[in-house]
Amino acid sequence: MTDASRAMLSRRRFLTLTGALTAGSLALGATGLWPRWALAEPELANRLLRLGRDIYPHEAIEDRYYLEPLTPLLEEQRDMIAAGLDDLDRRARAAHGHAYAGIDSGAEREALLREIQDGDFFQAVRNTLVVGLYNDSELWEPHFGYQGSSWEQGGYLNRGFDDLVIDWL
Amino acid sequence: MSTRFAHDDDGVVVIIGSGAGGGTLAHALARKGIKSVVLEAGKRHALEDIENDEWAMFEKLSWLDERITAGPRQLTETFPNLPAWIVKGVGGSTIHWAGVALRFQPHEFRLHSEVGDIAGANLLDWPISYEELEPYYVKAERHMGVTGESTGMPLHDWNNNFKVLAEGARRVGYEKLRAGPMAINTRPYDERPPCLHAGFCMQGCRFGAKWSTMYTDIPRAEATGHCEVRPHAMALTIEHDSDGRATAVVYADGDGNLQRQRARAVCVAGNSIESPRLLLNSHSSLFPEGLANSSGQVGRNYMTHATACVFAEMPKPVNMHRGTTFAGIISDEARLDRSRGFVGGYTLEVMSLGIPFFAKFMDPANGGWGRDYAAILEKYDHLSGVWICGEDLPVERNGITLHDSRKDRYGLPVPIVYKGDHPNDERLRRHGQQQAARCYEAVGAVRVFDVPDFPTSHNVGTNRMSARPADGVVNQWGQTHDIDNLFVSDGSQFTSSGAENPTLTIVALALRQADHIAERMSRGEL
Repeated sequence: MTDASRAMLSRRRFLTLTGALTAGSLALGATGLWPRWALAEPELANRLLRLGRDIYPHEAIEDRYYLEPLTPLLEEQRDMIAAGLDDLDRRARAAHGHAYAGIDSGAEREALLREIQDGDFFQAVRNTLVVGLYNDSELWEPHFGYQGSSWEQGGYLNRGFDDLVIDWL
Repeated sequence: MSTRFAHDDDGVVVIIGSGAGGGTLAHALARKGIKSVVLEAGKRHALEDIENDEWAMFEKLSWLDERITAGPRQLTETFPNLPAWIVKGVGGSTIHWAGVALRFQPHEFRLHSEVGDIAGANLLDWPISYEELEPYYVKAERHMGVTGESTGMPLHDWNNNFKVLAEGARRVGYEKLRAGPMAINTRPYDERPPCLHAGFCMQGCRFGAKWSTMYTDIPRAEATGHCEVRPHAMALTIEHDSDGRATAVVYADGDGNLQRQRARAVCVAGNSIESPRLLLNSHSSLFPEGLANSSGQVGRNYMTHATACVFAEMPKPVNMHRGTTFAGIISDEARLDRSRGFVGGYTLEVMSLGIPFFAKFMDPANGGWGRDYAAILEKYDHLSGVWICGEDLPVERNGITLHDSRKDRYGLPVPIVYKGDHPNDERLRRHGQQQAARCYEAVGAVRVFDVPDFPTSHNVGTNRMSARPADGVVNQWGQTHDIDNLFVSDGSQFTSSGAENPTLTIVALALRQADHIAERMSRGEL
């Protein structure tokens, strides 16, 4: 691949849906710990975590699955993220008198986010998470019932491709 | 290593693209002893490269060169640089296709005669009838291994996803419910194994149970000694002589060096964006508007099928990810029946996505997130989905044009892919969404919801066939009206979209074109 084509690919990755693939393909550590940046800046991490968990709320999914895919975003665009979080807190204080994370009602937090959903900051976090969270194979079967790669196991020919009985009618 | 032909060998047919059109044509010509060089922009993949991983295969296979999505449609906003979801690689989009192998219906070849003029649509009959193409449909079905009569292979067993949709469909009175025809083996056929219901058809079939030129036509063409496939070869322009005959194709090789391959004839099969783009980029003093464009129709009449998706949450787990991706077809609405408020018909095709894609594509617009969104995803294993494949009327303005200033890495103008709905498309889509919802409600869905169009995999019509040179780009053989030895061999030939997936018809046309080319060569005309 030429440098020019690599540069183009890289720009396109940012511009299109492939934008978050890099994040999604990162292997998670087995330790269950937060990523290094989050441990170093727990306050920032907690604010971002509240946002991420409001974008794709799954109560049973641990924090690290939200934080880990956001690592490249923090590395590449930390200022934008920090400024976006500050802006969100300003909006929250104006509307509710609390920082964003201090608003108890999930519906009220979502309403605030709807106001900024077309902005670069929000979409950067969302586009990163929509791939980074849902492309994490550790979450597939336990949380979503998705079984992932099947060819190694001979597909589903003998593993239930037609096991459904419609008994609810 | 296969045969190699010299760049100055002017006895070869140069075929641009190695998918359903180009790959099939190369193989069919090779079996007749006709030499060809296939220029394929992408790389070679091995079966071992194929993973059951949606995003990984998206990155490996997709044509990701810059394109500009345009027109009044959601894709313009949600996928501004990815109007089409097609493959760059040896085998082309036959790696990605889902295997649905429906024939067009007889009336669909003469839609204009059937329905007359429709305001805003550029309707035209095909210059070929169903009856003329029928023998080639049979050949194509045997060639590809399509379940059903032509091969004797039974249709697939119904997977869970289709069981759900079909039960609902039966309850609303639909009768044409079939798990096929599919170009996916149900028995060993053509030295390829039967389907193991692994899912992931659109990520490439790891077993080769689904037909793809990647592991059938291409290696077999090469094995004859009459065909050389050159991967990483991006065709840039087609050259011609002072008599207006095509003489060579200039392409960039994998190192970015320009090469010129002389040609006896040139067959363009780069899919409905790249094929017209190449003809437009090949403009010359003799052909200032682009090659084969005396009609002005090159790049126009771009059709994608009028589509939408409907998904439903069922009371119990369905596990739609198990089994073939497009596992069953409902054809009751494929008929022509103007009482529904639109012309043309549609098929309802049950479909699945894995959680990685579903999370992205359920609503790729800015608002696709939140508590309700996540709640649906938590019920992923309870979902069933259906895709609407409907007649998309040709509209002259819909099409491929070249950007004024933006250039790709080869210095060629970036293509702009413009598409808007004809009002007929909107009515058809709405009808399809309503009917799909009725099916799911009849089978006890907890909730039913629409999912918007994906970047399109069915791209047809931009070099359309016509009886008269003034109306289109190619004749019934795919030969351009303007240039005797220049052919179009892919879905861009389509005069109308039909209500069926395009691949089988592309293959049938390619087999027919191969016979035609051979016959003309034997008469000394080419």
